[in-house]
Amino acid sequence: MKKEYFEESSDGSLKNSSAYAKVKVKQAPERTGVIRSFDLGVPGTKIGLTVVYILCAALVLIALFPVFWVIMAGFKDLRELNSSTAIFPSSFDFSQYTTTWDQSGISRTYLNSFYVVAGSIACALVVNGMLAYGLAILKPAGYKLIGRLVMLSLLTPATISLVPLFMNIQRVGMGGFFWPLWLAAGANAFFVVLFRQFFESLPFSIIEASRIDGCSPLQTFFQIVMPLSKPIVVVITLYTINAAWSDFLLPYLVLGNSQWQTVMVRLFILSTQQTINDAVVLRTVVFSMIPPILLFFIFQKKLTENAISVGIKG
Amino acid sequence: MKKIKSRGRDKLKYTLSAWLIMLPGVALFIFFQWGPLVQSVQMSLYETRNIELVRFVGLDNYISVLKNHVFIQALANTFSYTMWSLLIGFFIPILIAMLISETARAKGFIRTAVYVPNILPGLAAIILWKAFFSADDTGVLNILRGYMGMESMAYLSEYQLVIPIIVVIATWKGAGATALIYMAGLSGINPQLYEAAAIDGAGIWQRIRRITLPAIFNLGSTLLILQIISIFQIMYEPLVLTMGGPDNASLSLMLLMWRYAFGGGTMEFGKASAVAVLITLLLTVFAILYSIMNKRKVTWE
Repeated sequence: MKKEYFEESSDGSLKNSSAYAKVKVKQAPERTGVIRSFDLGVPGTKIGLTVVYILCAALVLIALFPVFWVIMAGFKDLRELNSSTAIFPSSFDFSQYTTTWDQSGISRTYLNSFYVVAGSIACALVVNGMLAYGLAILKPAGYKLIGRLVMLSLLTPATISLVPLFMNIQRVGMGGFFWPLWLAAGANAFFVVLFRQFFESLPFSIIEASRIDGCSPLQTFFQIVMPLSKPIVVVITLYTINAAWSDFLLPYLVLGNSQWQTVMVRLFILSTQQTINDAVVLRTVVFSMIPPILLFFIFQKKLTENAISVGIKG
Repeated sequence: MKKIKSRGRDKLKYTLSAWLIMLPGVALFIFFQWGPLVQSVQMSLYETRNIELVRFVGLDNYISVLKNHVFIQALANTFSYTMWSLLIGFFIPILIAMLISETARAKGFIRTAVYVPNILPGLAAIILWKAFFSADDTGVLNILRGYMGMESMAYLSEYQLVIPIIVVIATWKGAGATALIYMAGLSGINPQLYEAAAIDGAGIWQRIRRITLPAIFNLGSTLLILQIISIFQIMYEPLVLTMGGPDNASLSLMLLMWRYAFGGGTMEFGKASAVAVLITLLLTVFAILYSIMNKRKVTWE
């Protein structure tokens, strides 16, 4: 009410109006925790809240400082890195970064990583989606067995079968190129479960209608089901990007030191070598972090929201 | 009669086309998930040379793995990882979630900042922390020690410290995401409960003990078991940070499996699979314990 009064009045009070808004925020911050607004009058609560904020500031510092530090360290040359104890470099010399980018062939590994990510997204969406479509909507005779087996793989750790998987890849001669990495994204139990849950919530009448209109099951999938499932498609795409970008164990075994190595494989090999320049390793770390961080800040809300819902279901 | 027949044929056609749609997925699952799982067991019973199974040797692989004193150490280390992870990794996310829930201003910023470590590629985060714990005078923690007038220290070569340090690093990486889940749990608490408790004279600590903690108890027990299962498979961190050293002090069971398979250039896949099967058996025990706990949870409510 008061705010309206200020806004309706003459020019001079516009300032008042914004000042009032500020005061209002200060006076009644939304409290969602144990400490409620009615506690604020109790002696000691203010001090307690101050402690809470100090601890939160410490948390932010602990979470972000290492990232900040490595970016700063990347500006240092090897001699400075090994002698200086200052956080900031003596000069913000971008040529350190550009030299590493050029000399270590990171641009090529970047490109390879993008290939891996792109193919993984395609496989993750189409293959897992079609399997989930079968399990959730088509439900042919015997689908329950597949559903159970998928749940089983959700529970069994992937790394356990790393050795026989590596052998199989060698046997069929898929090593040395992206195929195993792309196809592995198509066998993700977690994605199948996410898709399946979403498909089951779709209105069945639409699917039935498309069948009556003469769509084949496959057409229904690509033209009706997938377009209706945009939210889950976005989420699975984001997860796939992160996973495909960050994975290094299977890519290392499959691609090794070949021309197709990804950023993470490159970083892993660098980190295991004793003779390598530490400054180059740290700069490669920075390069490897850039795409996930960009992705995070673009899709921040989607990613964090989903971490919650997925976590609760899991 | 003809109609029924054609309906039967339609149904067959439908089933076939449905399975055809599921086929790529099923095939990939067989190749990448179910097949390797079965092969793991099979391979553990065979002598292997490179990628070939040479001959059936029964439980020989298991016996030689179990007789190796390194296995006992890796097992003990893995339990040590688990214990430290319970001490450090379990409570910190709860604390973070409760702290952030108490803030009113800048909540979104704090939440985002705490989540950032989680989005970094795991390998990049580990190498980053390797530089922090570097034994040189310019390792970040040694710089801090220098300010306090202490000698530099080779953290990752300390027999007693190496496992807790690795757990701290893993916690730094994962705590933000776990805290986010707890925050969702906390925001589900009915505020009227707090108000009613306050009217009844409950102070802030009492409200935390009687309302907040019981409310996230179920969530906590689920996340606890998931955490145990994941820390039990710890491998990347010791592989990159210490290679299992010093003197096998940070060797985990999974890393032992990696060593048998890809470590020494010998490619002892049979023994590696035996270790993998043993890990799976141990994890199955945890899973059974979890389901028992889950049953009790229902009655608790």
